[in-house]
Amino acid sequence: MIKELAKNKEGAKERCLKAYEEAKKLQDKLNHVITFIDPSEQCEEIKEGKMAGVPIALKDNVNTKGIKTTAASQILSNYVPIYDAHIATKLKDAGAVCIAKTSMDELAMGGTNLTSFIGPAYNPWDTRRMTGGSSGGSAAIVASGTVPMAIGSDTGDSVRKPASFCGVVGVKPTYGRISRYGIIPYASSLDHVGYFTRSVEDAALTLEVLAGRDDRDMTSSYREVEAYSELLNGDLKGKRIAILKNVTDALHEEETRKIFFDLMKKMEEKGAIVEEVSLDENLMKAILPTYYLIANCEATSNHSNLDGLRFGYREEGSDMQEIMTNTRTKGFGPLIRRRFVIGSYGLFEENQERLFRKGQKVRRLIVEEVKSCLEKYDAIVAPASGSIAPLIDAQKDQDELSDEYLITENYMALANFSGYPSMTVPMGFIDGCPIGINITCGAFEEVKMFNIAEGIEEITGYKDLKAEVK
Amino acid sequence: MEYDVTIGIEIHCQLKTNTKMFSGAPTSFGRMANTCVNEIDLGHPGTLPCLNKEAVAKAIQACTALHLEIDPLVKFDRKNYYYSDLPKGFQITQQFHPIGRNGYIKIVTDEGEKKIRINRIHMEEDTAKQFHLSKMSLLDFNRAGTPLVEIVSEPDMHNGQEAEKYVEALRQTLYYLGVSDAKMEEGSMRCDVNVSISPKGSGKLGTKNEIKNLNSISHIGKAIDYEVERQKELIEKGEEILQETRRFDEKTNTTVLMRRKEGNVDYKFFPEPNIFPIRLDPAWIKEIQENMGELPEERKERYLNQYGLSEHDVDILIANKEMSEFYENIMKHTDNAKSACNWLLGDVSAYLNKHELSIENSSLKPEAIAKLVALVDEGKISGAQAKKLVDDMMEGKDPEESAKEKGMAQVSDASALTDMVNSVLDANPQAIEDFKNGKDKAIGFLVGQVMKVSKGTANPAMVNSILKEELSKR
Amino acid sequence: MSEVKDREYFKKLAQQLLFRLSDEEADSIVKEFSTLEKQMALLDAVDTEGVEEMIYPFEEDTYFLREDEVSHVISQEEAVKNVSKKVEGHFVLPKVVK
Repeated sequence: MIKELAKNKEGAKERCLKAYEEAKKLQDKLNHVITFIDPSEQCEEIKEGKMAGVPIALKDNVNTKGIKTTAASQILSNYVPIYDAHIATKLKDAGAVCIAKTSMDELAMGGTNLTSFIGPAYNPWDTRRMTGGSSGGSAAIVASGTVPMAIGSDTGDSVRKPASFCGVVGVKPTYGRISRYGIIPYASSLDHVGYFTRSVEDAALTLEVLAGRDDRDMTSSYREVEAYSELLNGDLKGKRIAILKNVTDALHEEETRKIFFDLMKKMEEKGAIVEEVSLDENLMKAILPTYYLIANCEATSNHSNLDGLRFGYREEGSDMQEIMTNTRTKGFGPLIRRRFVIGSYGLFEENQERLFRKGQKVRRLIVEEVKSCLEKYDAIVAPASGSIAPLIDAQKDQDELSDEYLITENYMALANFSGYPSMTVPMGFIDGCPIGINITCGAFEEVKMFNIAEGIEEITGYKDLKAEVK
Repeated sequence: MEYDVTIGIEIHCQLKTNTKMFSGAPTSFGRMANTCVNEIDLGHPGTLPCLNKEAVAKAIQACTALHLEIDPLVKFDRKNYYYSDLPKGFQITQQFHPIGRNGYIKIVTDEGEKKIRINRIHMEEDTAKQFHLSKMSLLDFNRAGTPLVEIVSEPDMHNGQEAEKYVEALRQTLYYLGVSDAKMEEGSMRCDVNVSISPKGSGKLGTKNEIKNLNSISHIGKAIDYEVERQKELIEKGEEILQETRRFDEKTNTTVLMRRKEGNVDYKFFPEPNIFPIRLDPAWIKEIQENMGELPEERKERYLNQYGLSEHDVDILIANKEMSEFYENIMKHTDNAKSACNWLLGDVSAYLNKHELSIENSSLKPEAIAKLVALVDEGKISGAQAKKLVDDMMEGKDPEESAKEKGMAQVSDASALTDMVNSVLDANPQAIEDFKNGKDKAIGFLVGQVMKVSKGTANPAMVNSILKEELSKR
Repeated sequence: MSEVKDREYFKKLAQQLLFRLSDEEADSIVKEFSTLEKQMALLDAVDTEGVEEMIYPFEEDTYFLREDEVSHVISQEEAVKNVSKKVEGHFVLPKVVK
């Protein structure tokens, strides 16, 4: 695990080069990396720290100074950042060695990793299936065993869903716990920096490295960063666990239900108090539209800086208007442009009250509902997805108005609305493919969340799962 | 037909801070392109705004001086539009929660004193600068992100003079506070004037036309006067007044169409998600308010009372903050307020104008003027002689030394003066005749002749009395 | 809000956002829009009378203000590094007609 690796500084260069080679070798099968970074130079000078000489990967929306950062979009295909994201610096200072910038859904706007400008990423457990998104590349590179930690970002569930599909631990901490300075944004009030590991222990340690106040991010928290890995304790006795019944009721996959409820029983055997809780059904159904509205509206505004004039891809034209229009037409994929149209529509003065602001009001009601639940329980849990990763080719026409789609597949945005810490850990396998359970706790209660996750990991034994890529 | 003229003014003022509104890059003027920027000012992906404390402090000062209510919760919003000088594709401003509301400033016009109400003051950031060449435009982001306050008046003004007085009063206040350089010709203060007219007493407001690109206060009145006439003519012709944005052309003193306003642009305002509301510490606000520099209105009162100068002189003195501060420094070394003022506003100002200098970048020392005043008051040199010392004094020379070098000791020796007087009388028998015939002008002529003979060094008061005495002997 | 949400409407909307939509792309938005309206109806089903918008996940007052000292400036070279055409350190645009 990361702690042991960091202690072994002598082996650093060897293991980093090995990780780099392995990532390259798997690229054909997984298509999970946008830019490879030869670690030789970094290995010349490895800093002392909690991740000394540990190879890691960064989602390609994390700015790395001097190294191309594209957010998987044509419009940034040639963008070389002139500054490092805050977490890039923190990881460097902790001794970590970045070997890859991983693939993602274009501009992080997606849940499949099928919209990357390098094409789809493939699931290491079954390369006919998707990794999920938007942080699919990072999920894959950890799941394949190449690196023990990879950074992602989570705006609606973009770390926690691919974690489920790829059988890894995926963490979205509390809003503001990790600085967003230098992370190419999607929706600022929902964006969180997140990450993948193969064990809860590694997840706890990683947060110690990433968390902390950054004055450049005015939304970053002053709260003390706790010694999460030292405080780790998987004892579930007396832990009050709320099963989000709205999710399980809408869930039709029998195997998933079996795995999940078996786990619940085992948790009870370990002394946890497990109860089913139903939140207001209308609010639960409103999660997805609320998310779409807020996310698309904010994203449209956030990406107004992508115009080809000061950086990035540029199409020529006879004047400013033409340049910007040609650039943005060629630079943004069709799905992105679609989302911007919807987002812009929701922000028009005449529509804002009915759409954007309505979404923000419903957000408040949803958060209040979750908050009052967490006042009575230590955690809210539910399966992180209805089933295992879908087959890429057999993309069935999902009924986008079904409860299953609205609730089971999209409820995790709750934790983005509220900013509450939420993570996914593997809970079982169906047809040889993994599926995870999602745990959400109250604001800044990462210690509690890691402990419950640890307790689950102890029950399942799913620690350090590595996919054998066939 | 008579018309009601309604004028509202929006002013954008750059704040005199070290760094930008939302980034730690330096503010600047006249520096090489793109040397005062960082990734935030260039709108690079992933950057976040970080609010400047001093910008808030200066905004608070402006609100206080202009009697606005201050909102202790600072909130920002996004104004979304695309333009090459707007790096993020939105401007961070305070649409919904301006830092100050409902204030006023007093102006004095030919019609007396009047209060012009101020609707709001809010903080926002400046755009980049564009230079237009014949085949291309060049972008410099040094100015991008500079802190601004926008000051929006109520439409309380009704003619060009009121508008000019309003802008001048605001300029002075902001300048005195040290909030802004407030120089229209440099762009640190920009004025947009909205003018509409409607038939007198109709109670309705006419269509607003906006006038931009006014580079000096004197253009404001001219622009408004022209615009009002233009709109009147249109109405009398029976034509509709369209909502337009116009610019002032200083060569022709007219307003010229820039663009028509087609409906309202939708800026899709929404709260800035990357800046949490900031609660201002009331103790900090109080500290700022108690430590503001003296405002022009306060200084005027003080000068009238303390120095007994005429209102006319006081107005000129305080119009330029550096000038009035220089004056106060002179007054540390002399008691003769009137004399010191006369020198400063007279010969010194003439010199400054001629050489295109300002008081702060001349070599003149306040003690020098105090000395000059003393030399004259003590009768060591005459007023006429003193005038000759101004040039040297302006270059930093001590007037006493200058006077010595120029051999300017005022002749106050009675016997020497008597000799001079008598030699002049001998040379001007006609003048003696005129005097004896009751022509008092003859005295002035004779004094002048003595001054000429003495090359200006004779003590004129003494010459006068000695002359009268000698005349009585003849 | 009386405009018909058809292909032309969305193409015009896209133009305001400074990009173009092909006919097919605009048509697919028209289709998606009806699903969207149904999803928005789910929002309408929630009574938000008297509820304030939630703009940020946390609503505690903050106090931080940055000290007004120059802390970070980049070189002119870095500033224009990401563009190919520059003139004396300026970004270049063909003539803007406003």
